[in-house]
Amino acid sequence: MKKISKAVMGAILGALLLGSCKKDPLNNLTNDESRIYITNYDSTAKFSSYNTFSVNDSVDVIQDNQFAGRERGNFDSTVITAVSQQMQQRGYQLVSKESSPNLAINISRVINTSTGIFDYSNYWDYYGGYWDPFYWGYPGYGYYAPYAIGIYTIQTGGLEIDLLDLQNAKANNNKLTVIWTGLARGEQVFNSANANAEVMALFSQSPYLKK
Amino acid sequence: MKRIIVKYKYWMIAAIVLLSTSSVHAQNDLQFNVRYNVNIPAGSFRDFVTNPAYKGFTAGLAYPITSQLRVGLDVSYNDYYRKYPRQVYPNGAGSDISAVLTNSIQQIPILLTADYTLTKKGVIRPYVGVGAGVNFISFDQYLGEFDNPQTSTRFAARGEAGILIPLSSYSPTAIRIGGTYNYAPYNKDGVDNLSNWGIHAGVSFALH
Repeated sequence: MKKISKAVMGAILGALLLGSCKKDPLNNLTNDESRIYITNYDSTAKFSSYNTFSVNDSVDVIQDNQFAGRERGNFDSTVITAVSQQMQQRGYQLVSKESSPNLAINISRVINTSTGIFDYSNYWDYYGGYWDPFYWGYPGYGYYAPYAIGIYTIQTGGLEIDLLDLQNAKANNNKLTVIWTGLARGEQVFNSANANAEVMALFSQSPYLKK
Repeated sequence: MKRIIVKYKYWMIAAIVLLSTSSVHAQNDLQFNVRYNVNIPAGSFRDFVTNPAYKGFTAGLAYPITSQLRVGLDVSYNDYYRKYPRQVYPNGAGSDISAVLTNSIQQIPILLTADYTLTKKGVIRPYVGVGAGVNFISFDQYLGEFDNPQTSTRFAARGEAGILIPLSSYSPTAIRIGGTYNYAPYNKDGVDNLSNWGIHAGVSFALH
């Protein structure tokens, strides 16, 4: 029995040691490395058939799946300018929205909030002996916490760029079809200093997007 | 968290020292062994991780059936990690993802083992061993900071050869050095297997 106890003790200690030996991938990523860029396109779209485009002059803010308004801060302005430059470098001509552009570009900041709870419901049971109610002059009393302890909120965001086909809106049964979408997610995705790099990354992985 | 890890490491070292010093000159006692492993991915596993796992450990119990044959139970842990530079990956028709890809794989095989020492005595005693059991696998593939965790339980088997270097002629305490081939089928998400080669060094001693 003594042998088994020692063996079990060794195994538990071993397991604890081993569990601590995982190299955490998130601790080994820079903010730039944390970001991912996803692009999707309509395989039936003929990108060379479009000549002109226009970009919305502000950025839509979508908060928790609801439209929260339009904004044009430093980050937004930088993205709008960068997208315009990328499109022009691809051979498309920037025109005002009154000039009946072939393509429209919507830019959005999508922000989702999630809430969770750390369940410390047994907190007082564990520490009841230490925080003895006797100390407060209530010997024999227990503790009761009527609320959950440790509620947290996390916001995750993404930059989304949508390219809409205005040229074929009527032919598409009066629909503004999205023919290309670019999405950037990760750490500091809404930082102005990263805006140009994010737009460039989305366009550079979309070589088909050209006049 | 780091403080807790350091605390456990000290506990582990203390336990090993305690058990080592209490070893007796008994040939039929249950034996405990602990080894440090370095494991190198083999075959198609190398498509996912190319570099060795330097954070590997094995702990095991072995009962001597004869002076040369022992059967027992081993638990191992290996942590494989590989970060690939940013690259564009196709993601189905019309979709691409640019990301830094990180594969983080932990294997915990629990094996029934048998090993046979080729000589009854000697300063160096060669041995061979086999093992078979279950492999608890955690395979996390990160695209940037976004994780796609997978956990699985699979069959595992091991072939082993090495040497035991007893600390004295009659002591059951011995230094154990060897190599293993660890067969680890996987068959999930295009990954055929997580088989690997390993080398290890450790110590074996009697419990009483």
